[in-house]
Amino acid sequence: MYRYDQFDQHFVDERVAQFRDQTQRYIDGGLSHADFLHLRLRNGLYIQRLAPMLRIAVPYGTLASRQLRMLAHIARHYDKGYGHLSTRTNMQFNWPDLAEVPDILADLATVQMHAIQTSGNCIRNVTADQFAGVAADEVVDGRPYCELIRQWSTAHPEFDWLPRKFKIAVNGAARDRAAVDIHDIGLEARRTSDGIVFDVKVGGGLGRTPILGSLIRESLPDIHLLTYLEAILRVYNRYGRRDNKHKARIKILVRAVSPDIFRDQVDAEWAHSKDGPTTLTREEIDRAIAAFTPPQYPALESQPASLASARLADPEFSRWVATNVAPHKQSGYAIVTLSTKVTGVPPGDVTDVQMDAVADWADRFGFGEIRISHEQNFVLPDVPQRDLYEVWKLARAHRLASSNRGKLTDIICCPGGDYCSLANAKSIPIAEAIQRRFDDVDYLNDLGEINLNISGCMNACGHHHVGHIGILGVDKKGEEWYQISLGGNAGRDASLAEIIGPSFSRADVPDVIEQILDVYVEHRADGERFLDCYRRVGIDPFKERVYANAH
Amino acid sequence: MPTLIKDGRVVVDDWKLVETVTDGRVEPRTIVPAAYAVSNAPQLFSQTSEVGVWLPGDGEPDDIAPLLDRVPLVAIRFGAVNDGRGLSLAVLLRTRFGFKGELRAFGEVLEDVMNYMRRCGFDSYQLPDGHDPEVALRAMRSLSDFYQGSVIEPRPAFRRVARGR
Repeated sequence: MYRYDQFDQHFVDERVAQFRDQTQRYIDGGLSHADFLHLRLRNGLYIQRLAPMLRIAVPYGTLASRQLRMLAHIARHYDKGYGHLSTRTNMQFNWPDLAEVPDILADLATVQMHAIQTSGNCIRNVTADQFAGVAADEVVDGRPYCELIRQWSTAHPEFDWLPRKFKIAVNGAARDRAAVDIHDIGLEARRTSDGIVFDVKVGGGLGRTPILGSLIRESLPDIHLLTYLEAILRVYNRYGRRDNKHKARIKILVRAVSPDIFRDQVDAEWAHSKDGPTTLTREEIDRAIAAFTPPQYPALESQPASLASARLADPEFSRWVATNVAPHKQSGYAIVTLSTKVTGVPPGDVTDVQMDAVADWADRFGFGEIRISHEQNFVLPDVPQRDLYEVWKLARAHRLASSNRGKLTDIICCPGGDYCSLANAKSIPIAEAIQRRFDDVDYLNDLGEINLNISGCMNACGHHHVGHIGILGVDKKGEEWYQISLGGNAGRDASLAEIIGPSFSRADVPDVIEQILDVYVEHRADGERFLDCYRRVGIDPFKERVYANAH
Repeated sequence: MPTLIKDGRVVVDDWKLVETVTDGRVEPRTIVPAAYAVSNAPQLFSQTSEVGVWLPGDGEPDDIAPLLDRVPLVAIRFGAVNDGRGLSLAVLLRTRFGFKGELRAFGEVLEDVMNYMRRCGFDSYQLPDGHDPEVALRAMRSLSDFYQGSVIEPRPAFRRVARGR
């Protein structure tokens, strides 16, 4: 993985000192509340419902074991012993003391981490496929380009004060695990005879106005990536709306002028900077790519007999292998998803003990690397297949072995009204109620792949628009209600969910989900996934069932 | 009286910025609205050559292009601390329109943003009342090097620093 050079280290060290100075000025009264807000946001610090919340960047979701141990230390020393994996593959701490935040950032800098631009109206953490570099279906490892974008976007002189937040994702595999269609800019890397190129989509996003991104350039050669991004950002910075924060994302601008006109504006801007000094050099691209050189994998037997016999002997393990283990590009190895989705634990919450344990497993059963997925799980990218049983037993002892990756109970969920001051409704208790209702593993396996996403408000941090089943918390005269939508998808064939009808009380949500699942089971063809079934039969049968009593 | 910081020092501001020109008379070293200067150029520049213009962050550089080789100062107003449009405007004036004179930021200028402004081509800053210029000068120095190219250093770090060490 990428290691800081002297330049990177010097930058984050100075940034820590700068924020320490800003925090002190705020505490001393020299910096107003309103002015400090802009500065703390750009260093990941929110003031939330109960306490400050610090969001630490995990660039493109890749962590070294020593970095995860540092996060465990921060959880233990500065917080209440746990952290939260966000849908932007970051780590959030909910209980830091404002005066201690500069110390936390200084600790992070010792392991080449930071919280720069994890909030505020600026370019946020760039995300990638959580299986980048190891996935069997990968064409291009997007992470070197994510790192180049990270550096280019960090304290950019022109683009740190945008109309609204700005999210970029890079995918380079046959499947789209990075959800590029719902990003302000989504980049699809491809390999051609002329080298690596990008298809550029712009103006996707969720929130109040969910829109899938529009393709505005095909086959952009990698050396032009930064100048082209700069052209997009300049058009957005100048012409994105600033009068209404709900209409300030780039998607609104792209839709208002049309993707074709927007592309023309970007091209006109790009004509001035193309081939200019910001053009990437082959040497710099090679440096980034070299940082992600695959490790020297010792040759291992593929599908060893011990694995097969362990699966035969232990059906629970076998089930976990079927759901949580993905194919690795290297023979004899596997990609393991450690699910944080345990009934009774808020999705994405992990304790300091769990973090330390995962860091140890990454060293023992891999090359010291861990990933965070946007589904809020940990991933061990390089587990020898012969060690899977051992990893599973250890993970089970630490409650990280739920066999539910991609299943109904692998719920994506924002912190909701329990923590977030923006939320209209709680989301964590909804997730828990659903996990309690549907706790039969055979039933869950029979249902197959179903993504259920919950957001506590229109900001859609829980990605409810792209859940096969989406749940949105809404406020109705001071009461928390829940709107349900169906048919969303964040993958390769992305789609936005359709609202099924009037919202439901919290107590009714598990019953409604059960009715929806019943309709699916009744209508599905052999082996048909929920999403495919929904797309075939449409929303009406679902609607008729859940509102049957209302007629 | 707002403090003026120019070229990294606190200096006396000998320009006067006016919101509007009412009687058609403009004293030397006055910063007038750009729109006024565009529509009254012959009359304005016959009175004095020492005229500056100001425009808001969402102003179009094309509109003032004919004036740029005649005015020694362009001031850009920041309507809000978090409104970055003035930064892009400054970049365009410096790089695409070749403006070489003084480029001044005024309005909601936060000391911690001045380093961004500097890299977008500003060279003077009117600090609002109640802001300590010493803090501002310190804030401008808090980060000493940057990844990207900028107006004042077009080469990104990877073109001028040995990376990877």
